[in-house]
Amino acid sequence: MARGSRFTVAAPLLLLLAACGSDVGEAPTSPPCDDECRDRVALRAVREMTKLAYNLLLQGNPVGMQAEAAPCPLGGAVVIFGEASSNAEQGATVVDLSYGFDGCTHLEVDDEPDETYRMTLTGFMTQQGTLAAQPSATTALVMQSPSMTMSGTVYDPPLAYGEDGCTLELGQNGNDLSGLMCGREVGVDLGGPPN
Amino acid sequence: MRRRARRLTLAFASAASLLVESLSDRAVARAEPEASAPPPAQTVLPPKLRSAPDVPYPEGARGDARVVLTIEVRADGTVRSATPAEPNEPFSSHASRAAQDFVFEPATRGGRPVAAKIRFELRFTEPAPPEPAEDPPTTDGAVAASPSDGAAGSPGAPATKADSKEPIEVIVTGVRPELSRTASLTRAEVREIPGTFGDPFRAVEALPGVTPIVSGLPFFFVRGAPPGNVGYFLDGVRVPLLFHVGAGPSVVNPALIDRVDFYPAGYPARFGRFAGGVVAGETLPPVPELHGEYNVRVFDAGAMVEAPFLDGEGTAMLGGRYSYTGFLLTALSSTTKLDYWDYQGRVSYELGPRDRVELFSFGSYDYVGERTPTEDLTLFGTEFHRLDLRYDHRFVGRGKLRSAFTLGLDRSRVQQQDRKVRARLAGARNELEYRLSDTALFRAGTDLTLETYDIELGANDLAPSAARIAESYPSRTDTTLGLRGDFVLRVTPRFDVTPGVRVDLYGSDGATALAVDPRVSWRAQASKRAAVLGLFGVAHQPPSFVVPLPGFQPGGLPGGLQRALQGSLGIELELGGGMTATATVFQNAFFSMSDPLGSSAPLPMGCQPGTYPGDSIGGDLGEQPDEPTPCGERFPPGTLGPDRSGGGGQAADSRGGRRVGEAFEVRTLGSGRGIELFFKRRLTERLGGFASYTFSRSTRSYERRSYPAAFDRTHVANAAVAYDLGRGFRAGLRGMFYTGVPKAPDPTDPESTRLPAFFRLDARFEKRFRLSPRSHLSLVAEWMNATLSEEAITTTCTLSGCEAEMIGPVTIPSVGVEGAF
Repeated sequence: MARGSRFTVAAPLLLLLAACGSDVGEAPTSPPCDDECRDRVALRAVREMTKLAYNLLLQGNPVGMQAEAAPCPLGGAVVIFGEASSNAEQGATVVDLSYGFDGCTHLEVDDEPDETYRMTLTGFMTQQGTLAAQPSATTALVMQSPSMTMSGTVYDPPLAYGEDGCTLELGQNGNDLSGLMCGREVGVDLGGPPN
Repeated sequence: MRRRARRLTLAFASAASLLVESLSDRAVARAEPEASAPPPAQTVLPPKLRSAPDVPYPEGARGDARVVLTIEVRADGTVRSATPAEPNEPFSSHASRAAQDFVFEPATRGGRPVAAKIRFELRFTEPAPPEPAEDPPTTDGAVAASPSDGAAGSPGAPATKADSKEPIEVIVTGVRPELSRTASLTRAEVREIPGTFGDPFRAVEALPGVTPIVSGLPFFFVRGAPPGNVGYFLDGVRVPLLFHVGAGPSVVNPALIDRVDFYPAGYPARFGRFAGGVVAGETLPPVPELHGEYNVRVFDAGAMVEAPFLDGEGTAMLGGRYSYTGFLLTALSSTTKLDYWDYQGRVSYELGPRDRVELFSFGSYDYVGERTPTEDLTLFGTEFHRLDLRYDHRFVGRGKLRSAFTLGLDRSRVQQQDRKVRARLAGARNELEYRLSDTALFRAGTDLTLETYDIELGANDLAPSAARIAESYPSRTDTTLGLRGDFVLRVTPRFDVTPGVRVDLYGSDGATALAVDPRVSWRAQASKRAAVLGLFGVAHQPPSFVVPLPGFQPGGLPGGLQRALQGSLGIELELGGGMTATATVFQNAFFSMSDPLGSSAPLPMGCQPGTYPGDSIGGDLGEQPDEPTPCGERFPPGTLGPDRSGGGGQAADSRGGRRVGEAFEVRTLGSGRGIELFFKRRLTERLGGFASYTFSRSTRSYERRSYPAAFDRTHVANAAVAYDLGRGFRAGLRGMFYTGVPKAPDPTDPESTRLPAFFRLDARFEKRFRLSPRSHLSLVAEWMNATLSEEAITTTCTLSGCEAEMIGPVTIPSVGVEGAF
């Protein structure tokens, strides 16, 4: 895979010179984040928390029926049950899973303001479709929840976010995640390589 | 018996200009009964050397030298201080240290012993090669002057000679103390090696047996052993991190360093718990006189100053370095945060003529982060601090005893605040050196270390492979107890041998292990100009991290101790004209080795040509008849794969992650064998230089497969030359060449088994202004990798072929001012 095969490990002096071209003098400031922006960050949080739960509980498990539970990193718990199969050569996993969040809290801090959040989820959500083992591969997912409670902060600097009993009807095609969240249309490009 | 063969010659003209200054004039005056009357003329007699000095010719030095010391002699005849009148390394430091053991008949005023200050000249004469045909057992004049029989120590001999200003020659029976040392680098020499920025620790990379990972990165393999198996010590205290971030300088101000010794194998019993090699720095002894060094460079500034207090009974030293690269980067860039600094402090106090107490502290801090609107995200941060309280007792003319107590704190953080390691250390050690006779030196020591680790790696949101690695780093308390002893023996005038053993008991997280490390090194003078050197040693080490980092020490001794059998045989030739050459054959064997860097067989990044990633469309291969095939499984078949479908990784594993995780768990067999050649002419000569060459092969064996280690380099060569252009101008060049590392199989170039070789050229230019006999100012321009060479580190493949992936150029240009006073 071509990866932009060259990069420079700059010496301190050259680093200094190179740095002259970037924003000078002050810490970065974030553009304003409106309601739509907040929803986008919250949507990302929901998706990434299901991903985290899946990866902590199921990845590496034998294919077949699944039923796992674990505490979340910053409190609360999550359960996952359902069925999953995989194709290791194609790097794909086909899932039909249900997620149950009970005050499950996760913090994500990133240098990108709209990828920073602290979110607590409570509720059930189903997930059906294909997960990819590589971000560039095919992902086709449908995720639904009849009632999901979301609370916490989104964005950097943090903005309060809270929704009770929110319905989710979401679809992910590749890096594009979109759908209805609390009746509002929302979409986000998850893009970029994984951390 | 005539002992010319293995003796080092020291000629000293004692008290060539003898200035006696009574240091107790006031006390004497108070003793006078009638203050108003002129004091009666009192005869002042200068101190006379009572015991002949045992001053070996400095290791690694060449040529003759003259050192004038200002020696303060106490009223009891012992030496309070010995300060060189002007620097001439390595001779001046060597002479200063040795003079601490001189014993005088004290100066007298009116028959009363008084303290005095004298100027004392030592002349070092390069030892003449022995004459093999002659070894008559008769006593001659030289032996009569040797300290062992006391003739040279006859009171008054130096003083008498002082008047005649003719030196007397004394043959001293200095046994070579460290036979296993490949090289000893003095500050003065390292200063002349381009690309080291005057840093003795950085100069180690130019020595034979040393294989760099990447040019400019100060981590290296030593005779096949990985960077994590190379131990760094400063005055016998382990240094957890020797170099600042990236290609940074060492964490100890070079001005404080007397010399750096490099032991690639069979090191003295004093050093243990490392299975690959030892780099040991020794600090300058306290000097009761105001002196210091400073430098200001493009990327950092450092200084060291030492001053006496309590009338010279004590000294206080303070040193440090601060990189304003970090400050400037932080000011200039919106996102990057970089910082590093280090400090050293020392207070010493003479409790008496033979006793000294010393408090030595050093530490360093490194931080790399990213700034966000509300906080700084830590990418990597580490710091360590050491406090070493020492009590030294000198057995005049016989040796010394050191008892020391050490406290330490290490802290490291990776990626965000929730992943951190803290280690607190308390240790005690005793070190004894005692000369049993002119031909036997006994060294012994004990040490006990307690290290408490508090580790938070946030393992509940790590990918499985990372979580497995984290399991090897539990919070716990480690205990290590060590006993050691060796003899430095001159069996015959032509044969020296150092047998020794150290025993270490390790305890970690409920696991214990005992290690017994016997070692022996020897040297036989085969002819007038040739000596044969050999060594064999066993070295054990607990499992190690990839590179030395504060706090990153696996716990629980998983997989047991690493073990190395080290052997070498070499020839040392005196070529005349201040030139020496050595040739050494070495063979090391490693057992149960933890080497995450070197243990993995080379694999290409991406997919082999003709294959395609399993999670993508294969592509049209044109006229190629065969169906393109996927390049491999993304995760173990029959299991559920990770979810990496867009966005962050969120604890998803990957093939690369699993490979890294396995590399941490694997324990391999390993070997390193090869030939080292080293030629040197002292760099402080008008025309000096060195050339080193290592031809070696380093392998790993795992699951019945044997393959070259990931950083095996067949040829590694360094050459440097420094020339004194006159009028204070000095210029130097250094070239570095090494073979590329083993390459993964490449169907498009099946003949090629290695990545491209690397070559770089470093340059240094200095103009020195002599401000006074004891001070100078230099303008220095130095450039590491002036050729802007790039380096291949791996192979990346696509459907159409493979190509080397380059990094760099890693280059450091520097302009600065250096000075000393």
